[in-house]
Amino acid sequence: MAEEKPSGLDERRAGFARYKKDVKERGKSFFPYAMFHDTVMSLIVVSVIVGLAVIWKWTSYGPHHDGLHKGLIGPEYAPPADPGTVSFVPRPDWYFYFLFYLLRIFKWPETVFLGTIGVPTIALILLLALPFMDLRRERRPSRRPVAMVAAVLTIFSMGILTWKGATAKEALASEVIADVPSWVTQEKLPAAAIPGAKLFATAGCTACHTYLGTGSSNLGAPDLTAIGTRNLGISFQIRHLQCPSCVTPGSPMPKFASLGTARLHELAVFLESSKGKR
Amino acid sequence: MAIRREPSRAQVRREQMLAAATYPLDWLEERSGLVGGVKYFLFRKVPSDTNWMQTLGSATLTAFLVQAVTGVILAMYYKPSPHDAYSSIQNITDHLTMGWLVRGMHKWGASVFIILMFLHMGRVFLFGAYKYPRELNWIIGVLLLVLGLTAGFTGYLLPWDQTAYWASVVGINLNGTAPFVGPWLAQFLRSGQEINGNTLSLFYSLHMLVIPAGIISLITLHLYLVIRLGVTSPPWSREAAGREVVEEPSTVRTGLTRPAPHGGASGGSD
Amino acid sequence: MREEGMTPGPPEHGPSPTIWPLGFAVGIAVALVGLIVDPMVIASIGAVIAIVFGFLWARDATSEMRRAAPTVTAEVREATPAEAAAMPEAKPAPEKMQRSRFLEGATLGLGGIIGGLVTLPVAGFALLPSFLGQKGHKVDMGPVDAYPIGKWFISTFTVDPSEGEVSRRTAFVRNNGAVGNNVPSFTIISNRCAHLGCPVQANGPTGAILGEKNVTEHTVNGAILLRPVVPAGFGCPCHGGQYDTEGNRTAGPPVRALDRYSFEIDNGHLVLLSTFSVSHVVGVGAQAKIYKYKLSGPGQHVDGPEQWFYPLEPPHH
Repeated sequence: MAEEKPSGLDERRAGFARYKKDVKERGKSFFPYAMFHDTVMSLIVVSVIVGLAVIWKWTSYGPHHDGLHKGLIGPEYAPPADPGTVSFVPRPDWYFYFLFYLLRIFKWPETVFLGTIGVPTIALILLLALPFMDLRRERRPSRRPVAMVAAVLTIFSMGILTWKGATAKEALASEVIADVPSWVTQEKLPAAAIPGAKLFATAGCTACHTYLGTGSSNLGAPDLTAIGTRNLGISFQIRHLQCPSCVTPGSPMPKFASLGTARLHELAVFLESSKGKR
Repeated sequence: MAIRREPSRAQVRREQMLAAATYPLDWLEERSGLVGGVKYFLFRKVPSDTNWMQTLGSATLTAFLVQAVTGVILAMYYKPSPHDAYSSIQNITDHLTMGWLVRGMHKWGASVFIILMFLHMGRVFLFGAYKYPRELNWIIGVLLLVLGLTAGFTGYLLPWDQTAYWASVVGINLNGTAPFVGPWLAQFLRSGQEINGNTLSLFYSLHMLVIPAGIISLITLHLYLVIRLGVTSPPWSREAAGREVVEEPSTVRTGLTRPAPHGGASGGSD
Repeated sequence: MREEGMTPGPPEHGPSPTIWPLGFAVGIAVALVGLIVDPMVIASIGAVIAIVFGFLWARDATSEMRRAAPTVTAEVREATPAEAAAMPEAKPAPEKMQRSRFLEGATLGLGGIIGGLVTLPVAGFALLPSFLGQKGHKVDMGPVDAYPIGKWFISTFTVDPSEGEVSRRTAFVRNNGAVGNNVPSFTIISNRCAHLGCPVQANGPTGAILGEKNVTEHTVNGAILLRPVVPAGFGCPCHGGQYDTEGNRTAGPPVRALDRYSFEIDNGHLVLLSTFSVSHVVGVGAQAKIYKYKLSGPGQHVDGPEQWFYPLEPPHH
């Protein structure tokens, strides 16, 4: 990158002098030629801002005068802050989604500060140092392959992280429980499996397992939508829930023995009844 | 004579009116030189083939000005205390006349401002406009991006709803994981060992005084450097790109006194 | 460059008379401070200093106007031996140079004093209150009888009722029963995630699914809400951290176990004291061995090599 001839700076100075001369001789005056375009663009920007505000308000307030109503692009406000909550998942504003998802990627305790501070700091340093790393005079994108590939990769990865952050699901017991009725209809669960389904929804299973699209996949835990088709048997399920690593050596799944045998039986019935979408 | 006098009287009147109109400007110019400065800014030369993408910078400035104006108005009704913040936001959004519009513009303007900063940065990168002699302006731009994101972060807490509170908890704790200084930084941002009432007023002060002051100063510097160093032409430009011209263009100057119309298509006329 | 030529001249001649403004400024400052502290004595002393120095300064500043000639002759006399012949016209210059150099220094110095006088209080007030005088609180969680032995409760309380909702916190509480010489044992786990401080939830049935009712205890700390729960562990929905019922990390990014509250029993009531951090817990309930550390922020390692990233914790209660 820095294979500079000794005359590099002189060349750049000469190039800038040529630019200055060209602009002086053949340039146009900023007003009104360039400024007209600036004004058009600013009008678009202001219209978009006002438009978003209007859409936000007119679709969110809802029929029953409820500021929490979601609307098209978001509610007017969330419920009031409750520092003692046990049923809330914080989300940043969209432009921090990339960071939000980065934190989920660095899921090992030793790497936490890489996601929180490390990657953003490195990105910032690279940005600040950019003009000193790229010292060539060439500005045409077609002749700056490295820069263009780096830009595309950056945009791509930021886009992916933002998208993943926006669509990331979380297993909030108070929200997962609302899906139980639809599980019952979709999987045609018998009545005996319903207490187990409710337990499944509230006992943190969906923190790692997914079930009919609910829950978040962590630690390589399998999807349990059709776990019953494997016919593992009630007693295996109970033993597995009591001590997963005893039954499947190396399993990272925590023990659920503290729920008690009766509840584990309910859970096992639910799992064995889950034969997939029918 | 009488016939000739009448137009001349009108002429005199017109001249008097013109003089009366320009008098305040002349007065201002003589005492400050400001009129000349504005004239210099407006009529300075820019490359004749600037691109639509180059309007993103001024669009970002417009978005910032929208934030500044709407923010000042919101500050008249917002109450930065844990007790009142949420209800004052409700009041602004649901009860005060047009409060929803100003808050909506501020809320969504923030997103637009940040998108535009990224787009503007992408344009500068694509055009290679961070190269000599504009390195310093790139750095100022990166700092503006950081300040813009910080403004977004501090402003996010102000509605004092669940999203606001918990996103700020995580955001503050993110800073807390920085080696060595992290715990101190986090405790400063929290104004104590736990988030309390002062945290909200600290964020309010940062959001509406400290960070805007920084952004305004940096924007001033940014614009000063743009005016001093000139607007970059597109890198594929046939003129004013600062490249060594190998062969003289064969086209003949048309002799038009007006600069060429906008866009690269008319390059032949120069 | 010209300075070198004039080094033989008297170097201290320029600065010495113009020390007066400094004394004048000190006098004014003392008078202003005196107005607040002791208007009679200190303010008068300040005024006297200011007047004396002001007079001397004025006399000095106007000396050139009043009698310009004597100063110049004095100058010539002192500089004569080598200088006079070599550069006769440089004579008035040395005084001017010295003077401007002194004024440069004085301006910068006085500016620095002004800056310091403004910056120190401002920076001090901006930073110090976050670190000094942090108060601890006691939280009355209600009678010990409200916590049947072996049962878990999600307990939500206000740490400082005068601060209001902002001090609302949640802890997972279990009465482990008395151990040894009738010493009560409680496991009280904070619901602040050790990863980045998100609200941790209990992985287990509560309320209607569990078939038990919530209880509210009214104490000096206001209403304490106790929600019975049978947790298989604790989990954080933000970034997927998982903990067992002792608060040990079992999966995900948390850097240590969940924080705990220390407690005391006062008049038959469970009272929460300060919070502390825990690297890990061995054993269960009353028999658990808890590896305690000073309270650290979420995401900060308390043990292992990474603890050296956070060598100095800010003052906590």
